[in-house]
Amino acid sequence: MYAAITSATLLGTTGVAITVEAHVGNGLPGFTVVGLPDEGCRESRDRVRAAMLSSGLEWPNRRITINLAGAGERRGGAALDLAIAVGVLVAHEILTPESVQGLSFIAELGLDGSLRPTAGMAPLVAAVHHSTPVVAHGAVRESLLARPEKLRAVNSLAQLVQVLQGDAPWPDVDMSDVSIDNDFVPDLADVRGQASARLALEVAAAGMHHLLMVGPPGAGKSMLARRMPGLLPRLTDEEAFACAMVRSAAGVPLHAGVVSSPPFRSPHHTMSMAAMVGGGSGHIRPGELTLATNGVLFLDEMGEFAPTVLDALRQPLEEGVVHIARAHGSVVMPAKSLLVAATNPCPCGGGGPGGCACQLPVKQKYFRRFSGPLLDRFDLRITLTRPTTAELTSSEPGECSAVVAERVRTVRELSLARQGCVNSAIPADVLDEVAPLSEDAMSTLRSRLDNGRLSGRGYHRIRRVARTLADMHGHAHVIDAQWVEVALSLRATFNAADGTFR
Amino acid sequence: MNEARYPQWAYAAALASLPLLTHARLRRLIAHDKPSVVWNMLQEKERPLPGFKEDTWRVWCNVPQSVLIETAELCIDSNIIVTTNRDRLYPVVLHADPQAPAVIFSQGNLEVLHQRRVGVVGTRTATQAGRHFARTLGESLANAEVCVVSGLARGIDFESHVGVFRATAEQAAPPAAVVASGLNKVYPPEHHELWRRIASEGVLISEAPPNAPAETHRFPLRNRILASLSEVLVVVESRARGGSMITVREAMKRDITVMAVPGAPNVSSCEGTNLLLRDGCAPVLDVEDVFVALGLDTRRENRAIETRQMPTADERAVLEVLAGVPRSIDEVALLAGCSVVNMAVLLGRLEAKEWVSHVDGWWEALLH
Repeated sequence: MYAAITSATLLGTTGVAITVEAHVGNGLPGFTVVGLPDEGCRESRDRVRAAMLSSGLEWPNRRITINLAGAGERRGGAALDLAIAVGVLVAHEILTPESVQGLSFIAELGLDGSLRPTAGMAPLVAAVHHSTPVVAHGAVRESLLARPEKLRAVNSLAQLVQVLQGDAPWPDVDMSDVSIDNDFVPDLADVRGQASARLALEVAAAGMHHLLMVGPPGAGKSMLARRMPGLLPRLTDEEAFACAMVRSAAGVPLHAGVVSSPPFRSPHHTMSMAAMVGGGSGHIRPGELTLATNGVLFLDEMGEFAPTVLDALRQPLEEGVVHIARAHGSVVMPAKSLLVAATNPCPCGGGGPGGCACQLPVKQKYFRRFSGPLLDRFDLRITLTRPTTAELTSSEPGECSAVVAERVRTVRELSLARQGCVNSAIPADVLDEVAPLSEDAMSTLRSRLDNGRLSGRGYHRIRRVARTLADMHGHAHVIDAQWVEVALSLRATFNAADGTFR
Repeated sequence: MNEARYPQWAYAAALASLPLLTHARLRRLIAHDKPSVVWNMLQEKERPLPGFKEDTWRVWCNVPQSVLIETAELCIDSNIIVTTNRDRLYPVVLHADPQAPAVIFSQGNLEVLHQRRVGVVGTRTATQAGRHFARTLGESLANAEVCVVSGLARGIDFESHVGVFRATAEQAAPPAAVVASGLNKVYPPEHHELWRRIASEGVLISEAPPNAPAETHRFPLRNRILASLSEVLVVVESRARGGSMITVREAMKRDITVMAVPGAPNVSSCEGTNLLLRDGCAPVLDVEDVFVALGLDTRRENRAIETRQMPTADERAVLEVLAGVPRSIDEVALLAGCSVVNMAVLLGRLEAKEWVSHVDGWWEALLH
């Protein structure tokens, strides 16, 4: 008559265990799902009925009520299909309550009664880790990312019923630990010339300074950005699993399983705000910002993104998490990524010196899309030019990623040991302590502040970048004037008066 | 009703505000008789004067009398002086011009044009080196008591006048500017300050009546007046098909010496000037070249005074690499044979001393 089955539903990037209650009783034959189910869950009525009939099981022609217990929050997802089916079977007394004791069911049903994996298998399995999750065979690999103690997998509803009735044993599951692979990341050695851009990449990686690249098409902005993950420190096992869980929750295919290379996300500029920070109607999905956690979020053609999408980045970048609030609840998702953005210097693309023929108002309008506060998040703002033939054909290949990554790692360790955070996150009040300036460096900064080339906000950012530069060159304590000079040269500003970056 | 109830200049201004007007038509109207007489002919809807089309004349006849008063009030409010080619104040040089404007609107002192005059024109999207050259040229010319005539456009025009106001000589020549819009319509708006200053210390000239917007067709017309007012025309930087080239053609028609500043061959904003040089135009490497063209004494020391801190030996080597050609930092480092980090430091110091300029990734040396 009644059954309670454990399953899980997705809330942002985390799974939540819920109980699916089933009741089969007398009354007008019907099948209702209550407990604030979402659209996908209401559809599961039809899938469950068809799957049971296809599996040769008897459909109870009675009044069936399913309740997703813990009313008050909208929930659902196709992952509840199997739990609903098992609930009906137990309530209809085809299965005994004892046979499902200690099990939880997470799978979508096909109309033929087969079991299918759904998005977010890893966080869903993690949510029910105290019981034995039963999943589809195809979902084993992804489910193991949650590192459950026990896992059962079957192919179809009919097979599951056989097993639960004691007519067959549980099929074997390969529980061997998930290996962490290295994803292929393009190497920095492929980049010819561009010495200043290489320097900026290294500084960005070493201090987690957000980087904006301004340059004409063909300057190599995207090529450089794609090499960024190779410079960042490899993910720890914990981070790698967390990263895989987020991808699983977002339904991003995990081609390589768990990888230790930092994620690289490069969304198209037509994306919506929900795709960037997360959200969506129904259940809240993680956005690109969350997917890029511990890695690189690359915004190519930043000028083409909707201004609202860009401005939505501001607060999460500062806090490292994104809060999505909806009428029926809110979720917090991680958003700690390195932002790398690229843009043309003007709508025509610029080109050579004096080559841009854009009218001033056009250029000003182009850059008005980037709000001041957003531009301010970029510690490093560099201008790129197309490499000259001499640079392209110079026979010396640049340093490879591994060499640079090693230096980056050293700086990271140094900064963590000194102030417990990366250099870009040094709080302003301890700057004097961890990033003291030499006399010369101070006067250089003062002269730039006096002649208006540096704002008060820029002042602290310059000091953090100078800290990273000094660390990279083994000057661990007092910061020399030259590092301040270099930091200043890595922070171009947009000049609204003549529409140029300098 | 042939008597004039208002001063003649008010009638002249009203005639210059008529629709369907060209400079040729206005010259014929003004040449016919006193402006008041012509205006009253129109108001009384008399037969067209010979040489005017029936329909144009009809449109003019329907212009209300109120235009006369409105235009006059605008001129008084904005301190605009209206001069016809019958007036004593009318610039003498324009008398010889077959396409001269019959009525000119001006703010400031028209006698500024009695000095020696050099036109300085160029592209709106100039390189930093070009802007710098225009500034020093303007300053040196003003110091040598030569009036700089320019168009107050963005880029080279603007910088040449900025240079004029930097001149320190006691007898520095006040500048003249020829603009396309009405004198109470500042275009481009960001030049408001310079516009006002030229009006108060030099002279601002336009053939457009007050309130006339900066329409595209007015600029080539403005260029012919600019060329006509110059004794020598210096083109600092111009694209192959730029507005400055129109000024050059107008100057050539009038047998006015055109000179051009050579630029780097791969820079598109120097293409026009380089083409002029190829075609045999005299080059300007220094302000002295302009003095020679004007027949002035070049022995006098009247260059702009170098106030910048001198570069060190290392920095001088960087300036040599940068001389004449804009380069990226990577290229400079490659050519100078030092690391990007060191080059960033050197360039940063040079920029602080104002010897180099950095725009959109390109570094340029500001020599001279």
